[in-house]
Amino acid sequence: MTGDAVWYEAAQVVGITNALNVAADALGALGMVEDADAPPETRALFAEIRAFYESPDVPPAFRLIAHDPGYAADVWAAARRAYADNRLSRRVKEALAFAVSLTTRSETGTAFHLGEMRRLGVGPRGVMEIVGVTQMFSSYTKIADTLQLEADMGDIAPVDWSPAPGGTPPPPKPRAPEAP
Amino acid sequence: MPTVRLRDAAEYPPGAQRLFELSKAWFNHDFGQPPAMSRVMAWDPEFGGPHGRAMKRAMSQGEFTRAEKEMVAAAVSGASACEY
Repeated sequence: MTGDAVWYEAAQVVGITNALNVAADALGALGMVEDADAPPETRALFAEIRAFYESPDVPPAFRLIAHDPGYAADVWAAARRAYADNRLSRRVKEALAFAVSLTTRSETGTAFHLGEMRRLGVGPRGVMEIVGVTQMFSSYTKIADTLQLEADMGDIAPVDWSPAPGGTPPPPKPRAPEAP
Repeated sequence: MPTVRLRDAAEYPPGAQRLFELSKAWFNHDFGQPPAMSRVMAWDPEFGGPHGRAMKRAMSQGEFTRAEKEMVAAAVSGASACEY
């Protein structure tokens, strides 16, 4: 897991998972957009989401935000980018999304991403591995917060000096003048 | 600033020194002092011992690699808004 690119991908998964869980867990009062009531562009969006997840269902979060088709399309485009195979596999990304959903007590997200992990081939042992990591680090984080520990392991990994995608490397830093 | 005074490794009894050696091996990194969390967990070996074993069992190579699990741990920490 060296280099920053995989960490940017992981952060995207954490962020968009949280965003989708917010809608799925708390927006029920808005009501879901059903296919029969949806305009053509929303039906097309739902078809794309079904194809991505190889499922006859559309995750509730997207039905709940589809009251604004343009907004839903943009959120889906970001979600598809975040969850698709890239440097990190879709399998690992679903494990991250499952861990985040469990940590934030999102029943909808936990059930959905557990299903996705299984669909992508993660077995019972693998599921329990992610449960174990999630539970143990939920403990460590609370111990650290209670004792207000300061981060002291930041230098354990090397700095990635590569530029942003499509960018140019940073200019070399000026050398300090040598002692006479 | 931490709520407690974190003791230097030298202030711990010999049994804890063994835990610090295991911690150093686990991270494969030579810390000046053991990480704060290692020193916290070494305070009470009857808690820190089994907690640490559960963590190592969860983090060991299985269906997911240790690196993938470190990323999951970072995601859990991020979702918990924990700076440590």
